[in-house]
Amino acid sequence: MQIFKKPNFKLMRYKFLAFGLSAVVIAVGIINIWVHKGLNYGVDFAGGTLVQIRFKSVFPIGELRQSLSDTGLGASKIQEVERGEREYIIRTMLPEEELDQELEAHVIMGNRVVDALKTEVDKTSQEKGLKDLNVIELDALIALLGETYPDKAEEAAGAIIDLRQSAEQKGIIEDFNQIEQSGIDNEIINDLKNRTFLGSMVIKRRETVGPQVGQELRRRTTQATVWALIGMLIYIGIRFKFAYGVAAILTLAHDVLITVGLFSLTSRELNLPVIAAILTIVGYSLNDTIVIFDRVRDNLKILRKLEFENILNSSINQTLSRTVITSSTTLLTVLALFIFGGEVINDFAFTMMIGVIIGTYSSIYMSCSLLLFWKKIFKPKKGMGR
Amino acid sequence: MKKNLRWKIILVLGVIALSVFLAYPPSTKIRYGLDLEGGMHLVLQVVTDDAINNETNQEILRLQDQMKRKDISYDTIVKSDERIGRISLQGFDPEKERDVRDLLDEYFGEWDASFSGNNAIMTMKANAATYFRDQAVKQSIETIRGRVDELGLSEIPIQRQGGLQGERIIVELPGIEDPERVKNILKTTARLEWRLVEAGPAATQEALLTEYDGKVPEAMEILPGDQRRNLGGNYYLVNQVSIVSGEDLRDARRSQDEWNNPAVSFRLSPEAGRRFYKFTSDNLGRLLSVVLDNKVITAATIEDRISDTGIIRGNFTVEAVEDLTVALRAGALPASIKYLEERTIGPSLGADSIRKGLTSIIIALILILIFMVVYYRLAGVNAVSALILNILILAGALAYFKAHLTLPGIAGIILTIGMAVDANVLVFERIREELAQGKSILSSIASGFSRAFKTILDANVTTIIAAVFLFQFGTGPIRGFAITLIIGITASMFTAVFVSRLIFDVTLTKKKKREKLSI
Repeated sequence: MQIFKKPNFKLMRYKFLAFGLSAVVIAVGIINIWVHKGLNYGVDFAGGTLVQIRFKSVFPIGELRQSLSDTGLGASKIQEVERGEREYIIRTMLPEEELDQELEAHVIMGNRVVDALKTEVDKTSQEKGLKDLNVIELDALIALLGETYPDKAEEAAGAIIDLRQSAEQKGIIEDFNQIEQSGIDNEIINDLKNRTFLGSMVIKRRETVGPQVGQELRRRTTQATVWALIGMLIYIGIRFKFAYGVAAILTLAHDVLITVGLFSLTSRELNLPVIAAILTIVGYSLNDTIVIFDRVRDNLKILRKLEFENILNSSINQTLSRTVITSSTTLLTVLALFIFGGEVINDFAFTMMIGVIIGTYSSIYMSCSLLLFWKKIFKPKKGMGR
Repeated sequence: MKKNLRWKIILVLGVIALSVFLAYPPSTKIRYGLDLEGGMHLVLQVVTDDAINNETNQEILRLQDQMKRKDISYDTIVKSDERIGRISLQGFDPEKERDVRDLLDEYFGEWDASFSGNNAIMTMKANAATYFRDQAVKQSIETIRGRVDELGLSEIPIQRQGGLQGERIIVELPGIEDPERVKNILKTTARLEWRLVEAGPAATQEALLTEYDGKVPEAMEILPGDQRRNLGGNYYLVNQVSIVSGEDLRDARRSQDEWNNPAVSFRLSPEAGRRFYKFTSDNLGRLLSVVLDNKVITAATIEDRISDTGIIRGNFTVEAVEDLTVALRAGALPASIKYLEERTIGPSLGADSIRKGLTSIIIALILILIFMVVYYRLAGVNAVSALILNILILAGALAYFKAHLTLPGIAGIILTIGMAVDANVLVFERIREELAQGKSILSSIASGFSRAFKTILDANVTTIIAAVFLFQFGTGPIRGFAITLIIGITASMFTAVFVSRLIFDVTLTKKKKREKLSI
């Protein structure tokens, strides 16, 4: 099979259209960021507490919001995980003037969220000294069961924890019937009913980042991106001509601007995995660009008589099927990650998807157009070849 | 079969065998990171200023002692407020300036001294300060390791962040049920000090200072009483210098006082015992406080000389005594610490992430397989075989480097699946071009590989550059992503170029007269 038999698109003809389009998209992104007074930083960069909680039964988002605002936590951001109103990611917000507080202040906010959502049953059971079966660790459960059923403790405890962790339960057991169905002796279950309870919620994730870390992370991220770009500029400068390095770096800057801009249009928060995605896109887009530049370098030797613009055009065309195929395979895998990878990695996959598409487009349009402009503006005496 | 080819086959089989050996069975050989296993990731900062202050306090005591021995009179020796690591010696006997200079030269080599009139300012030398800060971080790591061991957790990675100058420590604790308790035990500086009480207890700070015209006198400070300890008042005015401290502690155990209330019994080093004995002898009848982490937990009149053993009571609960002795036994932290970052991942979320990650990997693989076989026919099978070998090498390398597989690491594997075939695509497209120009199958393959290799190298190096910088600045999970991407891309140059070529060579020599290449 072949997508393009002998491609000969006059792609370079649309360079100004492409420039215009890119400029508009970048402008929209920048204006959007400006209107919202900066990027929507997540916990990693802005500091704060994030709690991911799963409830035993449906907890409508409206009630959740109400419970939080009743305890003075109305400013918290709530995000539903999967559908079904049972699992949420809650991010607490400190008032602006207290943002620079030490980590402890953020931890306390997190504790308040958890306390606000606990039911009375949870609290009274805990006061009675009952253990929460939805929280207890394997070793502790073995010890607990060991007091009454030393021979079966290990097996039963293992079965209960496995049940809790299974794909169906997702970390929380709803009632004791579910334990009965997993084939545990009734006497053990009756014993458990007396000494334990099934808490109404389980904290699946809790992240608190202090203000210093966030600030430093922003600085280090910028540094890493800049150094990566410099590293690439040097590498391309050695392997190609300086002009190619500049064109490639400008293309990458274009990709990063568009990706960040488009990202800001969504309600997603900028966290570390997103930065990782952006840096990967930088590497990926460059990968594409280099393949084309490589062809340009070859063709400058072979097709000496052609106009530079035509050389660029045929280089793009010759590598077009490769560009499209590699983008497709990468996009397919990232798509798999986006759909099946779960919420923790979702922002990463989303950013990668934008990036792969933009990276493909830019390596065709931006990088080659920039080379052409370079030639027109600087008119290098030795030409564009090596 | 060519001899050359045979060696290549042996090499590839060797790589396969080695990877399988390293990574099988994956459940025990490949370690999960905290985000997949569940657990607590903590970043702590050692407040190394505390270590400098401690050292300064010790030096003040030593200087006072030396001045007495040399029989040089002086007004005060205090810690300077202006700058950390500075001692101010005021009002020494001007006729003995020579002696003071000699004394400082001889016994206080780590300090720079500047004289003006009958005062001297001593400043800790920069390299000494660096040394004490570094030691504080190193000791903190040891102490924290000790406490983690006391809690019954072993083989916990505890690492220093930011190289030799770094003041941060990362602790990764798997599967913790009660994060708050562990956090508190790790954080308790457990810095015990015995300090002389100058005034108090009193209900307010103002009441403490009525005798002193409302100002805190030199060499003294106000410390709050620990609210839980039920003391006679909220505040104490105490001497800035501690007589003995947690560093002098040799042991601490759970114990009881004469009324059977929970208490902590302690034993000091012989040297500290002698110091303590001398001090208590000189100050009989005065009030001595026990200060834990800058809060007074108890204060009692010195009724007897104490040397190296004693007990501390402070209206403790049994649990508080338990946690305190764990902390004290593992040693006090040489400086206080504060938490900068804490992330707790529950085991169910980790298990969920593993399931979803594996599903994504399998689906991605299937999609690529279908795509490549449909597009490149038998050559596509070749590419997919190379890809599977790539993942195998990746698994082997992860096991060999004892790298932890994280969720972003899984994302890295998935991305590798998508990007590793790029090398194959580059080669195949070149081969197709060569074939279109009418070259023979074998020479098309040969020039396809050789001409594409330069491009593959250039393109992959740039991705690796990005990944290396990501590794450099990233922490935990993100590093996992960078590692899998670096290994995956590097391996792809071997699998997609060397192995794919070999597969072509082997299959084509078997059926010598092939008219058409399935590509």
